[in-house]
Amino acid sequence: MQEEQLIAGLRAKDRKTTEYLYDKYSRALYAVISRIVFDKDIAEEVFHDSFVKITRKIDHYEESKGRLYTWMANICRNSAIDKLRSKEISQSGKTNTIDDFVYGMESQSGTQEHIDGIGVRELMIDLNDDQKFIVEYIYFKGYTHSEVSEEFEIPLGTVKSRVRAAIQVLKKNVARI
Amino acid sequence: MDIQSYISSGKLELFLLGELTEREREEVLSLAKIYPEIQRELDELEETMFAFDTMSGVAPSQEVKDKIFATLENDFILKEAPKPTAVPADAKVVPISSPWKPFAIAASIAAIVASGAAFYYADKYQERNDQFTALLQDQSVMADNLNQVKQEYQEKDSQLDKMIAGDFKRVEMRGEGFEMQKDAKVDVFWDQNAQEVFIAVNTLNELSDEFDYQLWAIGDGGPVGIGLVNSGEKLTLQQMEAVAQAGAFAITIEPKGGSEAPTLEKLVVLGEVT
Repeated sequence: MQEEQLIAGLRAKDRKTTEYLYDKYSRALYAVISRIVFDKDIAEEVFHDSFVKITRKIDHYEESKGRLYTWMANICRNSAIDKLRSKEISQSGKTNTIDDFVYGMESQSGTQEHIDGIGVRELMIDLNDDQKFIVEYIYFKGYTHSEVSEEFEIPLGTVKSRVRAAIQVLKKNVARI
Repeated sequence: MDIQSYISSGKLELFLLGELTEREREEVLSLAKIYPEIQRELDELEETMFAFDTMSGVAPSQEVKDKIFATLENDFILKEAPKPTAVPADAKVVPISSPWKPFAIAASIAAIVASGAAFYYADKYQERNDQFTALLQDQSVMADNLNQVKQEYQEKDSQLDKMIAGDFKRVEMRGEGFEMQKDAKVDVFWDQNAQEVFIAVNTLNELSDEFDYQLWAIGDGGPVGIGLVNSGEKLTLQQMEAVAQAGAFAITIEPKGGSEAPTLEKLVVLGEVT
């Protein structure tokens, strides 16, 4: 289905189109949330709310302001960050790291998740320490680039170029696997 | 504009992560419209992020899927069955008793005023929206202009460098001794070591479309055509072809595109190298 068709279908509140949207994007969008919100139940709650919001706010989406996935992923990311910073999640000193994420997935029941968990490790291959740090803070801890810059006293320009370098490595890994 | 360094600045990644300010977002979007390379990079990065998210995650549970579609059920139903509720045939029409009439009228007036206001503001909104779109277009035109100005500036800057660094001799060419244009005045700047020649038009009449001004370097081997002169560009430096040896410079009027040999009857200005 073309992106325009998909958007038109969503605006018409068409059930089939919404199911298609779910099948194609739920995994990626849920990943955006679950790497920031660690608890599975809370992550699913955030995902539920975000997905419902996406289908209901589709009239607010403007094609000229960027592609659909970016818009949806930003809704999910922002909801996850809001949840993470709200009082509902106790900040019990638990840090979100890539390893925690992988471990969390591996420890869940079922073999499918186990295989996926190894996928994350493979996707992270070839990231140097700086890039891994950036991915960890921005992707897994929900920091903005300016927060990373302030908190760790790294110049903003350096953060930006590391974000770019890290995503370039991920791009290569995505293509390879 | 250096598109490659813009792309590698990391700004596009932050755009996709939703971390830019509204102003920066607009900048990325209007540049992406102008430069297909930027749009392509954005598309590729989005693909990468989508692929990374898909590959690194697990599917949410079936329960959450069921819950989502249960929540959305009403949205679908509303659209799928938009049946108007028909008024039963035996419904009794209750006449409006008189004490309520003024209120009913007041309510109707309020409704009319409100919908009038709604139309008015909808119209205003549309107008603002159009203005905004027009501004965006202006902005991309300005970005283009800026680019052009930048290129011109760089060109002038390198000319200035040459003028300062080089050993330029100024040769004044005048039209006084000739019949064509008595007040014509054009200066040649010639660096004999670097063999570079610039001219600056001071006074020169416009020509019709069939003719061009042509500059000649007159040396031991006779006159050599070293380029056409743009008479419209006054008092700016125009670079001409290289000259190693010349005793004088001259400009003649030639048929469009210039000639092999000068038409001496149409000599406009001449200046001797002193």
